[in-house]
Amino acid sequence: MKKIKSILLSLTLLAVVFPIRTQVIGKYMDDESRLYAETKQVNQFFRRFNNEEGPDGVRYSKRSREYRNPDTRLKYLNILFDLENSSLDDQTKNSFLNIVTNDTAPKFLDFHAKGWFAEVKTKFLYRGQPKYVTFYLELEQENLGYKWVITNVNFDNYSKLLEEENLGTEKFLHPMSHELDFMNFIRVFDNKKYIEDYTQDGFAPDYLSIFIYEFKQGLFEYQTVMDLKFHFFQIPGWYFELEKFNRSGYNTGWLISRLTPISEEEKSVLMNYIYHD
Amino acid sequence: MFKHTKIILLAFILLGSSQIWAQDDISPERKQAIDSLAMEKVKDLSKYISIIGSKETSFSEANRVIERTLELFAPNSQMGVSSLYRKEIKYYTVRKYLNKLMALNYDQVTIKWYNIQYISDLEPQPDGTYVGVITIYQRFEGRKGDDLNYVDTTKKDITVYVKRKETQIGGRTIGFWDVMLGDIRVAETSK
Repeated sequence: MKKIKSILLSLTLLAVVFPIRTQVIGKYMDDESRLYAETKQVNQFFRRFNNEEGPDGVRYSKRSREYRNPDTRLKYLNILFDLENSSLDDQTKNSFLNIVTNDTAPKFLDFHAKGWFAEVKTKFLYRGQPKYVTFYLELEQENLGYKWVITNVNFDNYSKLLEEENLGTEKFLHPMSHELDFMNFIRVFDNKKYIEDYTQDGFAPDYLSIFIYEFKQGLFEYQTVMDLKFHFFQIPGWYFELEKFNRSGYNTGWLISRLTPISEEEKSVLMNYIYHD
Repeated sequence: MFKHTKIILLAFILLGSSQIWAQDDISPERKQAIDSLAMEKVKDLSKYISIIGSKETSFSEANRVIERTLELFAPNSQMGVSSLYRKEIKYYTVRKYLNKLMALNYDQVTIKWYNIQYISDLEPQPDGTYVGVITIYQRFEGRKGDDLNYVDTTKKDITVYVKRKETQIGGRTIGFWDVMLGDIRVAETSK
Protein backbone atom coordinates (compact mmCIF):
# COMPACT_ATOMS: atom_id res chain seq x y z
CA MET A 1 0.00 0.00 0.00
CA LYS A 2 2.85 2.32 1.04
CA LYS A 3 4.62 1.48 -2.21
CA ILE A 4 1.54 2.29 -4.34
CA LYS A 5 1.17 5.57 -2.44
CA SER A 6 4.80 6.40 -3.15
CA ILE A 7 4.39 5.64 -6.88
CA LEU A 8 1.22 7.76 -7.07
CA LEU A 9 3.02 10.61 -5.33
CA SER A 10 5.90 10.38 -7.79
CA LEU A 11 3.56 10.32 -10.79
CA THR A 12 1.81 13.41 -9.42
CA LEU A 13 5.20 15.07 -9.12
CA LEU A 14 5.99 14.13 -12.73
CA ALA A 15 2.75 15.68 -13.89
CA VAL A 16 3.65 18.89 -12.08
CA VAL A 17 7.20 19.00 -13.40
CA PHE A 18 6.31 17.94 -16.95
CA PRO A 19 2.86 19.27 -17.87
CA ILE A 20 1.06 17.30 -20.58
CA ARG A 21 1.61 18.80 -24.03
CA THR A 22 -0.82 18.03 -26.77
CA GLN A 23 0.00 20.50 -29.49
CA VAL A 24 0.59 19.34 -33.04
CA ILE A 25 3.01 21.44 -35.05
CA GLY A 26 3.23 20.44 -38.69
CA LYS A 27 4.83 17.00 -38.63
CA TYR A 28 5.47 17.21 -34.91
CA MET A 29 3.83 14.59 -32.74
CA ASP A 30 1.41 15.13 -29.92
CA ASP A 31 1.59 14.22 -26.22
CA GLU A 32 5.26 14.43 -25.47
CA SER A 33 4.99 14.60 -21.70
CA ARG A 34 6.49 11.12 -21.39
CA LEU A 35 9.54 12.20 -23.38
CA TYR A 36 9.93 15.34 -21.27
CA ALA A 37 9.86 13.20 -18.15
CA GLU A 38 12.45 10.74 -19.44
CA THR A 39 16.00 11.39 -18.25
CA LYS A 40 17.32 11.22 -21.78
CA GLN A 41 21.07 11.39 -21.28
CA VAL A 42 23.50 10.77 -18.43
CA ASN A 43 24.33 14.44 -18.95
CA GLN A 44 20.71 15.24 -18.13
CA PHE A 45 20.87 13.04 -15.03
CA PHE A 46 23.72 15.22 -13.73
CA ARG A 47 21.81 18.43 -14.57
CA ARG A 48 18.59 17.21 -12.95
CA PHE A 49 20.38 15.85 -9.90
CA ASN A 50 22.04 19.23 -9.37
CA ASN A 51 18.94 21.23 -10.49
CA GLU A 52 20.87 23.02 -13.21
CA GLU A 53 18.20 22.97 -15.93
CA GLY A 54 14.50 23.69 -16.31
CA PRO A 55 11.76 21.11 -17.02
CA ASP A 56 12.16 21.96 -20.73
CA GLY A 57 15.78 20.76 -20.60
CA VAL A 58 17.24 24.23 -21.05
CA ARG A 59 20.18 25.07 -18.77
CA TYR A 60 19.74 27.71 -16.09
CA SER A 61 22.29 30.48 -16.16
CA LYS A 62 24.64 30.21 -13.18
CA ARG A 63 23.39 33.65 -12.18
CA SER A 64 19.75 32.52 -12.26
CA ARG A 65 17.87 32.11 -8.96
CA GLU A 66 16.69 28.73 -10.19
CA TYR A 67 20.24 27.39 -10.62
CA ARG A 68 20.70 24.67 -7.96
CA ASN A 69 17.65 26.06 -6.13
CA PRO A 70 17.12 23.72 -3.13
CA ASP A 71 13.29 23.96 -3.19
CA THR A 72 12.75 22.85 -6.76
CA ARG A 73 15.70 20.47 -6.58
CA LEU A 74 13.81 17.99 -4.43
CA LYS A 75 11.16 17.58 -7.17
CA TYR A 76 13.85 16.53 -9.62
CA LEU A 77 15.62 14.25 -7.21
CA ASN A 78 12.42 12.33 -6.52
CA ILE A 79 11.94 11.40 -10.17
CA LEU A 80 15.51 10.14 -10.60
CA PHE A 81 14.85 6.79 -8.91
CA ASP A 82 13.60 3.57 -10.49
CA LEU A 83 10.14 3.61 -8.92
CA GLU A 84 9.44 0.01 -9.90
CA ASN A 85 12.31 -1.25 -7.77
CA SER A 86 10.98 -2.35 -4.39
CA SER A 87 14.48 -2.56 -2.90
CA LEU A 88 14.74 1.23 -3.13
CA ASP A 89 12.74 1.88 0.05
CA ASP A 90 11.52 5.31 1.14
CA GLN A 91 13.59 5.36 4.31
CA THR A 92 16.88 4.86 2.44
CA LYS A 93 15.88 7.35 -0.25
CA ASN A 94 14.91 9.99 2.29
CA SER A 95 18.18 9.57 4.24
CA PHE A 96 20.07 10.01 0.97
CA LEU A 97 18.01 13.04 -0.07
CA ASN A 98 18.53 14.65 3.34
CA ILE A 99 22.31 14.45 2.84
CA VAL A 100 22.13 15.66 -0.76
CA THR A 101 19.85 18.63 -0.04
CA ASN A 102 21.38 19.57 3.30
CA ASP A 103 20.77 23.30 3.86
CA THR A 104 24.28 24.17 4.91
CA ALA A 105 26.29 21.71 2.79
CA PRO A 106 24.28 20.42 -0.18
CA LYS A 107 25.97 17.76 -2.31
CA PHE A 108 26.26 17.89 -6.08
CA LEU A 109 27.55 15.56 -8.77
CA ASP A 110 30.56 16.63 -10.82
CA PHE A 111 30.97 15.13 -14.31
CA HIS A 112 34.74 15.76 -14.35
CA ALA A 113 35.52 14.65 -10.79
CA LYS A 114 36.62 11.20 -9.64
CA GLY A 115 34.16 8.95 -7.83
CA TRP A 116 32.11 7.54 -10.69
CA PHE A 117 32.82 5.07 -13.46
CA ALA A 118 31.16 3.11 -16.25
CA GLU A 119 30.66 -0.66 -16.54
CA VAL A 120 30.17 -1.80 -20.13
CA LYS A 121 29.17 -5.38 -20.95
CA THR A 122 30.32 -6.39 -24.43
CA LYS A 123 30.26 -9.43 -26.67
CA PHE A 124 33.39 -10.75 -28.38
CA LEU A 125 34.31 -13.84 -30.28
CA TYR A 126 37.08 -15.40 -28.16
CA ARG A 127 38.95 -18.08 -30.04
CA GLY A 128 35.91 -18.17 -32.32
CA GLN A 129 33.37 -18.65 -29.50
CA PRO A 130 30.89 -15.91 -28.40
CA LYS A 131 31.87 -14.63 -24.94
CA TYR A 132 30.97 -11.66 -22.74
CA VAL A 133 33.67 -9.27 -21.56
CA THR A 134 32.97 -6.46 -19.07
CA PHE A 135 35.03 -3.27 -19.19
CA TYR A 136 35.31 -0.59 -16.51
CA LEU A 137 36.04 2.95 -17.66
CA GLU A 138 36.81 6.30 -16.04
CA LEU A 139 37.06 9.83 -17.37
CA GLU A 140 40.65 11.05 -17.59
CA GLN A 141 41.90 14.52 -18.39
CA GLU A 142 44.41 14.93 -21.21
CA ASN A 143 45.60 18.35 -22.32
CA LEU A 144 42.54 20.58 -22.00
CA GLY A 145 40.05 17.82 -22.79
CA TYR A 146 38.74 14.56 -21.39
CA LYS A 147 38.47 10.97 -22.55
CA TRP A 148 37.10 7.68 -21.23
CA VAL A 149 39.86 5.20 -20.43
CA ILE A 150 39.66 1.48 -19.66
CA THR A 151 40.77 0.85 -16.09
CA ASN A 152 39.86 -2.79 -15.64
CA VAL A 153 38.30 -5.77 -17.38
CA ASN A 154 36.42 -8.84 -16.27
CA PHE A 155 36.36 -11.99 -18.32
CA ASP A 156 34.99 -15.25 -16.90
CA ASN A 157 37.59 -17.38 -18.62
CA TYR A 158 40.37 -15.48 -16.85
CA SER A 159 38.75 -15.44 -13.44
CA LYS A 160 37.85 -19.13 -13.57
CA LEU A 161 41.41 -20.03 -14.47
CA LEU A 162 43.23 -17.61 -12.18
CA GLU A 163 41.02 -17.56 -9.10
CA GLU A 164 41.29 -21.24 -8.24
CA GLU A 165 41.62 -21.71 -4.53
CA ASN A 166 45.14 -21.43 -3.21
CA LEU A 167 45.54 -24.46 -1.00
CA GLY A 168 48.30 -23.06 1.20
CA THR A 169 51.98 -23.64 1.76
CA GLU A 170 52.61 -27.04 0.24
CA LYS A 171 54.17 -25.69 -2.93
CA PHE A 172 57.18 -23.42 -2.71
CA LEU A 173 60.77 -22.96 -3.84
CA HIS A 174 62.95 -23.74 -0.84
CA PRO A 175 65.28 -20.95 0.32
CA MET A 176 68.47 -22.65 -0.93
CA SER A 177 67.18 -23.15 -4.48
CA HIS A 178 69.59 -20.51 -5.75
CA GLU A 179 72.56 -22.70 -4.87
CA LEU A 180 71.26 -25.25 -7.36
CA ASP A 181 70.82 -22.63 -10.07
CA PHE A 182 67.05 -23.02 -9.51
CA MET A 183 67.11 -26.39 -11.17
CA ASN A 184 63.96 -27.20 -9.12
CA PHE A 185 62.00 -25.04 -11.53
CA ILE A 186 61.17 -28.36 -13.11
CA ARG A 187 58.67 -28.84 -10.31
CA VAL A 188 57.33 -25.26 -10.52
CA PHE A 189 56.34 -25.65 -14.14
CA ASP A 190 55.36 -29.26 -13.89
CA ASN A 191 51.71 -28.55 -12.99
CA LYS A 192 49.62 -25.63 -14.29
CA LYS A 193 47.34 -25.76 -11.27
CA TYR A 194 49.87 -24.61 -8.67
CA ILE A 195 51.77 -21.89 -10.51
CA GLU A 196 50.33 -19.06 -8.35
CA ASP A 197 51.70 -20.76 -5.21
CA TYR A 198 55.16 -19.74 -6.34
CA THR A 199 54.35 -16.02 -6.59
CA GLN A 200 54.82 -13.41 -3.87
CA ASP A 201 52.29 -12.82 -1.12
CA GLY A 202 49.48 -10.55 -2.33
CA PHE A 203 49.85 -11.48 -5.98
CA ALA A 204 46.80 -10.43 -7.97
CA PRO A 205 46.47 -11.06 -11.68
CA ASP A 206 46.11 -8.01 -13.93
CA TYR A 207 43.31 -9.06 -16.26
CA LEU A 208 43.56 -5.94 -18.39
CA SER A 209 47.17 -6.70 -19.35
CA ILE A 210 46.23 -10.27 -20.17
CA PHE A 211 43.31 -9.06 -22.27
CA ILE A 212 45.46 -6.58 -24.20
CA TYR A 213 48.09 -9.28 -24.82
CA GLU A 214 45.52 -11.75 -26.07
CA PHE A 215 43.69 -9.11 -28.10
CA LYS A 216 46.98 -8.29 -29.84
CA GLN A 217 47.43 -11.98 -30.46
CA GLY A 218 44.14 -11.86 -32.41
CA LEU A 219 42.24 -14.08 -29.97
CA PHE A 220 39.42 -11.56 -29.48
CA GLU A 221 37.11 -10.22 -32.18
CA TYR A 222 34.75 -7.41 -31.09
CA GLN A 223 31.03 -7.99 -31.72
CA THR A 224 28.90 -5.47 -29.84
CA VAL A 225 27.92 -3.62 -26.69
CA MET A 226 25.29 -5.46 -24.65
CA ASP A 227 24.68 -3.30 -21.60
CA LEU A 228 25.87 -0.24 -19.72
CA LYS A 229 25.61 1.07 -16.18
CA PHE A 230 27.39 3.56 -13.95
CA HIS A 231 28.63 3.35 -10.37
CA PHE A 232 28.68 6.51 -8.25
CA PHE A 233 30.65 7.15 -5.05
CA GLN A 234 30.59 10.96 -5.30
CA ILE A 235 28.11 11.54 -2.46
CA PRO A 236 30.08 10.97 0.76
CA GLY A 237 28.85 7.90 2.66
CA TRP A 238 26.68 6.68 -0.21
CA TYR A 239 26.85 4.46 -3.28
CA PHE A 240 24.36 4.37 -6.10
CA GLU A 241 24.04 2.66 -9.45
CA LEU A 242 22.65 4.33 -12.58
CA GLU A 243 20.91 2.32 -15.32
CA LYS A 244 18.84 3.07 -18.40
CA PHE A 245 15.19 2.03 -18.43
CA ASN A 246 13.54 1.84 -21.86
CA ARG A 247 9.91 1.15 -20.96
CA SER A 248 6.49 2.71 -21.12
CA GLY A 249 5.34 5.31 -18.60
CA TYR A 250 6.96 8.36 -17.10
CA ASN A 251 9.65 6.75 -14.98
CA THR A 252 12.14 6.08 -17.78
CA GLY A 253 15.64 6.84 -19.03
CA TRP A 254 18.68 7.05 -16.73
CA LEU A 255 17.53 6.28 -13.18
CA ILE A 256 19.07 5.28 -9.85
CA SER A 257 18.58 1.53 -9.68
CA ARG A 258 20.46 0.77 -6.48
CA LEU A 259 21.19 2.92 -3.45
CA THR A 260 23.00 2.09 -0.24
CA PRO A 261 24.81 3.87 2.57
CA ILE A 262 28.43 2.79 2.63
CA SER A 263 31.48 3.19 4.89
CA GLU A 264 35.05 3.48 3.59
CA GLU A 265 35.75 -0.14 4.61
CA GLU A 266 32.62 -1.38 2.88
CA LYS A 267 33.57 0.58 -0.21
CA SER A 268 36.61 -1.59 -0.94
CA VAL A 269 34.51 -4.74 -0.47
CA LEU A 270 31.90 -3.35 -2.88
CA MET A 271 34.58 -2.36 -5.41
CA ASN A 272 35.89 -5.94 -5.33
CA TYR A 273 32.34 -7.16 -5.87
CA ILE A 274 31.81 -4.81 -8.84
CA TYR A 275 35.14 -5.79 -10.38
CA HIS A 276 34.44 -9.50 -9.62
CA ASP A 277 37.84 -9.62 -7.84
CA MET B 1 16.28 30.99 -49.09
CA PHE B 2 15.31 31.83 -45.53
CA LYS B 3 17.17 28.75 -44.37
CA HIS B 4 20.36 29.72 -46.17
CA THR B 5 20.21 33.22 -44.71
CA LYS B 6 19.75 31.66 -41.28
CA ILE B 7 22.78 29.39 -41.71
CA ILE B 8 24.95 32.25 -42.96
CA LEU B 9 23.79 34.36 -40.03
CA LEU B 10 24.60 31.58 -37.59
CA ALA B 11 28.00 31.09 -39.19
CA PHE B 12 28.73 34.79 -38.66
CA ILE B 13 27.59 34.59 -35.06
CA LEU B 14 30.08 31.79 -34.67
CA LEU B 15 32.87 33.79 -36.31
CA GLY B 16 35.28 35.56 -34.05
CA SER B 17 38.83 35.99 -32.86
CA SER B 18 40.34 32.60 -32.42
CA GLN B 19 42.67 31.69 -29.60
CA ILE B 20 40.54 32.58 -26.58
CA TRP B 21 37.62 30.15 -27.09
CA ALA B 22 39.84 27.29 -28.14
CA GLN B 23 41.09 27.18 -24.57
CA ASP B 24 38.17 28.45 -22.51
CA ASP B 25 34.71 27.03 -21.99
CA ILE B 26 32.24 27.93 -24.72
CA SER B 27 29.99 30.72 -23.46
CA PRO B 28 26.24 29.95 -23.11
CA GLU B 29 25.41 32.39 -25.93
CA ARG B 30 27.92 30.84 -28.30
CA LYS B 31 26.78 27.34 -27.31
CA GLN B 32 23.23 28.29 -28.20
CA ALA B 33 24.39 29.39 -31.67
CA ILE B 34 26.38 26.16 -32.11
CA ASP B 35 23.36 24.12 -30.95
CA SER B 36 21.19 25.82 -33.58
CA LEU B 37 23.69 25.07 -36.31
CA ALA B 38 23.90 21.44 -35.17
CA MET B 39 20.10 21.16 -35.15
CA GLU B 40 20.01 22.49 -38.73
CA LYS B 41 22.29 19.61 -39.72
CA VAL B 42 20.13 17.10 -37.84
CA LYS B 43 17.04 18.42 -39.67
CA ASP B 44 18.89 18.22 -43.00
CA LEU B 45 19.69 14.60 -42.18
CA SER B 46 16.03 13.86 -41.52
CA LYS B 47 14.94 15.54 -44.74
CA TYR B 48 17.51 13.56 -46.74
CA ILE B 49 16.38 10.29 -45.12
CA SER B 50 12.78 10.98 -46.23
CA ILE B 51 13.95 11.61 -49.79
CA ILE B 52 16.21 8.54 -49.90
CA GLY B 53 13.49 6.26 -48.52
CA SER B 54 10.75 7.38 -50.90
CA LYS B 55 9.91 5.38 -54.02
CA GLU B 56 9.18 8.63 -55.82
CA THR B 57 12.88 9.45 -55.69
CA SER B 58 14.78 8.17 -58.71
CA PHE B 59 17.83 5.93 -58.20
CA SER B 60 20.26 8.58 -59.41
CA GLU B 61 18.65 11.32 -57.31
CA ALA B 62 18.71 9.06 -54.23
CA ASN B 63 22.42 8.40 -54.78
CA ARG B 64 23.08 12.11 -55.14
CA VAL B 65 21.24 12.75 -51.85
CA ILE B 66 23.22 9.96 -50.16
CA GLU B 67 26.43 11.80 -51.11
CA ARG B 68 24.98 15.04 -49.71
CA THR B 69 24.03 13.22 -46.51
CA LEU B 70 27.53 11.80 -46.09
CA GLU B 71 28.92 15.34 -46.24
CA LEU B 72 27.15 16.05 -42.94
CA PHE B 73 29.19 13.37 -41.19
CA ALA B 74 32.73 13.04 -39.90
CA PRO B 75 34.61 10.22 -41.69
CA ASN B 76 33.95 6.63 -40.55
CA SER B 77 30.78 7.53 -38.62
CA GLN B 78 28.64 4.57 -37.63
CA MET B 79 24.97 3.97 -36.92
CA GLY B 80 24.40 1.71 -33.90
CA VAL B 81 20.87 0.27 -34.01
CA SER B 82 18.98 -1.71 -31.38
CA SER B 83 15.35 -2.77 -31.11
CA LEU B 84 12.94 -3.27 -28.24
CA TYR B 85 13.54 -7.01 -28.37
CA ARG B 86 17.24 -7.03 -29.26
CA LYS B 87 19.26 -4.94 -26.83
CA GLU B 88 22.62 -5.49 -28.49
CA ILE B 89 23.82 -2.86 -30.94
CA LYS B 90 23.99 -3.67 -34.63
CA TYR B 91 26.48 -1.51 -36.51
CA TYR B 92 26.14 0.03 -39.95
CA THR B 93 28.33 2.56 -41.70
CA VAL B 94 26.26 5.62 -42.56
CA ARG B 95 26.52 4.73 -46.27
CA LYS B 96 25.31 1.18 -45.65
CA TYR B 97 22.43 2.45 -43.50
CA LEU B 98 21.36 4.86 -46.24
CA ASN B 99 21.72 2.20 -48.95
CA LYS B 100 19.50 -0.13 -46.90
CA LEU B 101 16.98 2.66 -46.56
CA MET B 102 16.98 3.22 -50.31
CA ALA B 103 16.38 -0.49 -50.88
CA LEU B 104 13.26 -0.46 -48.64
CA ASN B 105 11.46 1.24 -51.48
CA TYR B 106 8.32 2.61 -49.83
CA ASP B 107 5.90 4.70 -51.87
CA GLN B 108 6.06 7.25 -49.15
CA VAL B 109 8.32 7.76 -46.15
CA THR B 110 7.20 10.17 -43.44
CA ILE B 111 9.42 11.13 -40.58
CA LYS B 112 7.47 12.77 -37.81
CA TRP B 113 9.35 14.65 -35.15
CA TYR B 114 8.48 14.83 -31.53
CA ASN B 115 8.69 18.47 -30.56
CA ILE B 116 11.43 17.77 -28.08
CA GLN B 117 15.16 17.48 -28.18
CA TYR B 118 17.86 17.37 -25.58
CA ILE B 119 21.21 18.91 -26.27
CA SER B 120 24.08 17.92 -23.99
CA ASP B 121 26.93 20.08 -22.81
CA LEU B 122 29.83 20.44 -25.20
CA GLU B 123 32.83 18.63 -23.72
CA PRO B 124 36.39 19.25 -24.87
CA GLN B 125 38.30 16.24 -26.22
CA PRO B 126 42.09 15.89 -25.80
CA ASP B 127 42.59 17.04 -29.43
CA GLY B 128 40.79 20.35 -28.80
CA THR B 129 37.60 19.38 -30.67
CA TYR B 130 34.40 19.71 -28.65
CA VAL B 131 31.88 16.89 -28.61
CA GLY B 132 28.22 16.85 -27.66
CA VAL B 133 25.15 14.65 -28.13
CA ILE B 134 21.76 15.74 -29.43
CA THR B 135 18.88 13.45 -28.52
CA ILE B 136 15.80 13.50 -30.73
CA TYR B 137 12.73 11.28 -31.08
CA GLN B 138 11.23 10.39 -34.44
CA ARG B 139 8.42 8.27 -35.78
CA PHE B 140 9.22 6.58 -39.05
CA GLU B 141 6.29 5.62 -41.27
CA GLY B 142 6.72 3.68 -44.49
CA ARG B 143 3.65 3.42 -46.74
CA LYS B 144 2.94 1.29 -49.80
CA GLY B 145 -0.17 2.61 -51.49
CA ASP B 146 -2.59 3.51 -48.72
CA ASP B 147 -1.23 0.93 -46.31
CA LEU B 148 1.04 1.76 -43.46
CA ASN B 149 3.63 -0.98 -43.94
CA TYR B 150 6.15 -0.15 -41.28
CA VAL B 151 6.16 2.15 -38.29
CA ASP B 152 8.51 2.63 -35.39
CA THR B 153 9.46 5.29 -32.88
CA THR B 154 13.14 5.69 -32.18
CA LYS B 155 15.34 7.71 -29.88
CA LYS B 156 18.34 8.98 -31.77
CA ASP B 157 21.44 10.10 -29.88
CA ILE B 158 23.49 11.99 -32.42
CA THR B 159 27.15 12.85 -31.85
CA VAL B 160 28.07 16.39 -32.78
CA TYR B 161 31.69 17.47 -33.24
CA VAL B 162 32.45 21.14 -32.99
CA LYS B 163 35.85 22.21 -34.20
CA ARG B 164 37.55 25.55 -34.31
CA LYS B 165 38.74 26.33 -37.83
CA GLU B 166 40.22 29.31 -39.58
CA THR B 167 39.66 30.83 -42.97
CA GLN B 168 41.09 33.78 -44.91
CA ILE B 169 38.63 36.53 -45.78
CA GLY B 170 40.08 39.62 -47.47
CA GLY B 171 43.55 38.81 -46.20
CA ARG B 172 42.30 38.53 -42.61
CA THR B 173 42.36 35.26 -40.67
CA ILE B 174 38.93 34.62 -39.25
CA GLY B 175 38.18 31.83 -36.80
CA PHE B 176 34.90 29.95 -36.90
CA TRP B 177 33.28 26.85 -35.41
CA ASP B 178 32.62 23.99 -37.80
CA VAL B 179 29.92 21.45 -36.89
CA MET B 180 29.95 17.83 -38.10
CA LEU B 181 27.72 14.90 -37.20
CA GLY B 182 29.30 11.70 -35.90
CA ASP B 183 28.13 8.28 -34.68
CA ILE B 184 24.39 7.89 -34.17
CA ARG B 185 22.84 5.54 -31.63
CA VAL B 186 19.35 4.52 -32.75
CA ALA B 187 17.23 2.84 -30.08
CA GLU B 188 13.67 1.73 -30.76
CA THR B 189 11.33 2.96 -28.04
CA SER B 190 7.97 1.70 -29.32
CA LYS B 191 6.31 0.07 -32.33
